[in-house]
Amino acid sequence: MALKYNDFTLQELMAVAAARELKDGEKVIIGTGLPLLGAFLAQKTHAPNMVAIYESGAIDCKPLVTPFSVADSVLAPGSAMQGGLMEGLGIVHAGDLDVGFLGGAQIDRYGNLNTHVIGDYRNPQVRFAGSGGSNDIGAGCRRTIVMMLHQKQRFPEKVDFVTTPGYFRGGKERDKMGFSGGGPSVVVSTLGILRFHPKTKEMYLASYHPGVTIEQIKDNTGWDLVVAKDVKETERPDPELIRILREELDPTGVFLKKK
Amino acid sequence: MKVSKVMTAKEAVAKFIADGMTVGVGGFFHAISYAITHEIIRQQKRRLTICQPSFNEHADQMIGAGCVDRIVSSYVWMEVFGPLHCFRRAMEKGIPHKIEMEDYTNFAVMARYLAGSLGIPFIPIQSMKGSDMMKYSAWMGEGKAKLIRDPFNSKKEYVAVPALTPDIGYFHVQRADEEGNCQMWGIWGDSPWSMRACKQVIVSCEEIVGRDVIGRDPNRTILPGYKVIAVVPAPFGAHPKHTQGYYDVDRDFIFQYIRESRSPEGWKKFMDNWVYGVEDREGYLKKYIDTYGMKKFLNLKAKDISSSSVNYGF
Repeated sequence: MALKYNDFTLQELMAVAAARELKDGEKVIIGTGLPLLGAFLAQKTHAPNMVAIYESGAIDCKPLVTPFSVADSVLAPGSAMQGGLMEGLGIVHAGDLDVGFLGGAQIDRYGNLNTHVIGDYRNPQVRFAGSGGSNDIGAGCRRTIVMMLHQKQRFPEKVDFVTTPGYFRGGKERDKMGFSGGGPSVVVSTLGILRFHPKTKEMYLASYHPGVTIEQIKDNTGWDLVVAKDVKETERPDPELIRILREELDPTGVFLKKK
Repeated sequence: MKVSKVMTAKEAVAKFIADGMTVGVGGFFHAISYAITHEIIRQQKRRLTICQPSFNEHADQMIGAGCVDRIVSSYVWMEVFGPLHCFRRAMEKGIPHKIEMEDYTNFAVMARYLAGSLGIPFIPIQSMKGSDMMKYSAWMGEGKAKLIRDPFNSKKEYVAVPALTPDIGYFHVQRADEEGNCQMWGIWGDSPWSMRACKQVIVSCEEIVGRDVIGRDPNRTILPGYKVIAVVPAPFGAHPKHTQGYYDVDRDFIFQYIRESRSPEGWKKFMDNWVYGVEDREGYLKKYIDTYGMKKFLNLKAKDISSSSVNYGF
């Protein structure tokens, strides 16, 4: 492999980490940006039978050009089915899908996500978009993959507003709700990869990205973050995956900003 | 011979949209009727409650123009393009005036429309359960959503959301006939459930076709004509959004709007140029071509990726 693919950016590392979370044959509802690149990277490599679904109602998409938006006009031609929101999110609500991607302004210790407000809901300092399909995806998909900018104010002990429940305050709290979906399985942040303890459902650090220290991650987390005993460096991406990302999936650098 | 419902956007909005109405806006990023939206703004409609699972700049422009008091939605933003500044100014600072929003999820708004379209009072869903959207409401109070128990087997708790039946709906489609039979392809967005739930519907369309064209492919019809009260011919009527098979999204134009609307003054200038300063959609198109050139305009036009036709024979 040419030397030029031996280096990688943080965004590329995150897209590859997201791709690794997907298994062949899974039905995945994807958004834009890094989740999209991660999902299509998986489909081009180890998961050729992945079924890519958009909430805009495009099912088993095979776009010729990487879509820019969840409702991009390149999604319909080539898809197995094209409907609307009822088709895209109805199957999420029914519990048919394996994986969904989420993000947000804040995530807390138990994986609860906030995409509504910073501050008081009725008198917000900052108002964000709202739920969109996030809460539906969080309640309905078997598991979710969360991608986050890792900063202290974005990783508080408790989110200002619960848009999309993770594990509430931990333990069996989520189970009592009876959702068809199981909750977040991983957080791919800009600093590391975090997972959830099987019993307490508390988020812990599983790996730190190259060039990042554990201390740095703890400093950027709003509670005393548990670190796995076998914590290690996040696996570096294979140069071939970097080539696919740059040459095939995002040749014009829409999502992966050129260095 | 049935009476033609064809009229201009100006006539349709003046005749059928009144101050204080609840308005269902159709589309999901794709095929949003800017032709009707801009006319609502020009006619200075007031105290509207606007409903849509996900809103983009069209809501932002109506909010900035002071048309909107209340929003029923799950999302007011423009994806990776960025935030909508009028929405944020209104929610955070009450500029131009304070607005209220009933926060649902995308699917929950769809469920409310589904109930409305079927004439049933509510529908049980699992979305929103346990979230803070259940704790807070605006003007609807307790009527926003309620936990109910499955009266049959599971005995599980679900979130009951009430039927949503706007006074009037408007949406954009590829083609319609003079009676208002609407055909749409590509991303349906919130259709057909949203428009079926509305009491009456205004449709804007790329093309008016004969009833025979509709009848040759009736599975493509997303809304039957009896729901429609006005048919507005509006080529490029969804610009800067896309309409499958006709034109693509105009990303530069959307970025420009978001950039310029950062300040109320910048927003006003944009609106003077593209909404208040043009007479109708034809004027808008002419201005677009004059400003950006015919080449850029033609670049938006869709490539030909036609489907094969099917045999409806018997």
